[in-house]
Amino acid sequence: MSRLGGGLAVLIPILVLSSFATYSLGALSNSNPAATILGQDAATPAAVAKLDKVLGLDKPLVVQYWDWLTQAVQGHLGTSYFTQIPVSQSIAQRLPVDLSIATAAVILAVVIGGTAGTVAAIRRGGIIDRSVTVVCSVISTLPAFVVGIILVVVFAVAVHWLPANGYNGPTQGIGPWLEHIILPSLALALQVAADIARQLRTSLVAVLEQNYIVGAKVRGLPYRRVLVRHALRNAAGPALTVIGYDFPMMLAGAVAAEAVFSLPGLGQLLLEAAQTRDIPVVQGVLLVVSTFVIVVNLLVNTLLAWLYRSSDGVSA
Amino acid sequence: MRRASRVHGGSVLSLPSARIAIVILAAVVFLMIFGSALAPQNPLTINANALFQGPSRAHLLGTDYLGRDVLSRLMAGTRLSVLTAAEAVGIALVLGAPLGVATVFLGRAFDFAANRVADALMTLPSIFFAVAVTAALGNGLVQAMFPVGILMAPLFFRVTRAAALEFARAQYVEAAELLGASKLHVIRVHVARKVLPTIAVTTAQGAAGALLAVSFLTFLGIGVTPPTPTWGGVLSSDLDYLSNAPWAPLIPGALIAITVGALNALADAFRDRAPRGRLAEPGQNVTTQLTPQPLEAADGRPTAA
Repeated sequence: MSRLGGGLAVLIPILVLSSFATYSLGALSNSNPAATILGQDAATPAAVAKLDKVLGLDKPLVVQYWDWLTQAVQGHLGTSYFTQIPVSQSIAQRLPVDLSIATAAVILAVVIGGTAGTVAAIRRGGIIDRSVTVVCSVISTLPAFVVGIILVVVFAVAVHWLPANGYNGPTQGIGPWLEHIILPSLALALQVAADIARQLRTSLVAVLEQNYIVGAKVRGLPYRRVLVRHALRNAAGPALTVIGYDFPMMLAGAVAAEAVFSLPGLGQLLLEAAQTRDIPVVQGVLLVVSTFVIVVNLLVNTLLAWLYRSSDGVSA
Repeated sequence: MRRASRVHGGSVLSLPSARIAIVILAAVVFLMIFGSALAPQNPLTINANALFQGPSRAHLLGTDYLGRDVLSRLMAGTRLSVLTAAEAVGIALVLGAPLGVATVFLGRAFDFAANRVADALMTLPSIFFAVAVTAALGNGLVQAMFPVGILMAPLFFRVTRAAALEFARAQYVEAAELLGASKLHVIRVHVARKVLPTIAVTTAQGAAGALLAVSFLTFLGIGVTPPTPTWGGVLSSDLDYLSNAPWAPLIPGALIAITVGALNALADAFRDRAPRGRLAEPGQNVTTQLTPQPLEAADGRPTAA
């Protein structure tokens, strides 16, 4: 639990640091929000000064930051300069897209990577093992967006099995939803799957050589049972760690998938806002994403530390 | 641990993979310097009569949706991609490595705090920050790669710290200190110099990650204005016309993958030829997602964010 304590102790300063950096971006930009909102014709110095006062932009940066942060904690992230839509509303609309892809990607990565790693370890040195190793190395050098493009070319352009782009919420039917998220998730999952396969193969090979595995076999236990109950259970630790570390990054990586498959996610929201210099939206997205990633990462670390402590396996 | 059996020490160049990687990287550097000058055609010239052509004698890598020569666009686009990747790695190295060496001598409180901060920074998605910075500071790759460099610094910090800690605990350092060597002398002679191979591994890894970041940012259209050719930009425009030329993205995709692969191979070679097996050990392998891979066998190949 000291790990959680240490994590929490550092969580607050880190969140303050990242949120302050996020907020300062607005101040660093030479953009003049009041002038932007008013438009060129109406932006007389008097009108700008008046609106600055309404927006609180005449106060010192630290005060502005504090105001923004206290509002943000209550879920108010301001409104877009251009559309006047509350930022939190836009984010709430977009976040499910990325969460769907990231979650599906984790599941795919576990299934694909787990199967490949296990088979490779059992048939160690065989043709499957060697092909798994080669495929993993190739995938590792391919960025997710390139993998995504290859998937589009194969499954959407060449054989027309799946849509090349777009998104349907799960409320409009599970089938169309799955159809639209499967390729983006796969693009995101393959690299993590390769990581999992490599980790699992290495640790499983080591575990399979342990005396207790030999002992279990000698006692005549069925191989499947030995594999699942004894070997995989003890070998899974390192692969679990990979998943734990990769999940928050997958959420961020979803931006790559969004770009390739034109999905209306957080990344697209950020890109659009960056192009129009819609600072409140940029700040809101950045704050939500970095907070989410930092918190999830802390939780995963704590969970893993707890798992390692409570298991007496060889995984440590 | 698959490399543990190989002999450590010796020249990096004795490994065939390293030689191939160096040839590829030398070609990339050559393109960076002379790419625009040597491009067979003007990368911006539009030719309405030659849209979506496959590779031919006139256009070795075909043409894009405006009939522009793809080979020329890729050659001319090398400089910006490579230089901004180098910018990010440079920032990360300058911020991270000295702090990593220093932490050995700054006491446990500093070490604890610095590690926690590094842990947290490593998890932040640099692409998001890169895009956000262009919103604030203007749309340029130089600005966009700045946060990528800062968020990569923990990678250099962690590996240098681990290596420096190990060397600082060596008996000959103790002996030197007993003989009255100053801290500065110890850092300079016994630590900094020995940490260099570790930094070489990390630099190659970091360069691979930074190049992926540049490609991805230019793919998103961040940091460049349209006619300017970049590797990611060529990829992105190919994506819009997949039904016309489904093979087209493979060319810039392969260029990016081969360069990144060469950097990874070089990192592996440095690791193999490091003075000790320590470099290949757990906790030192980090992907470009900047996620720690705390256990053995992850060989730190970058994965794109």
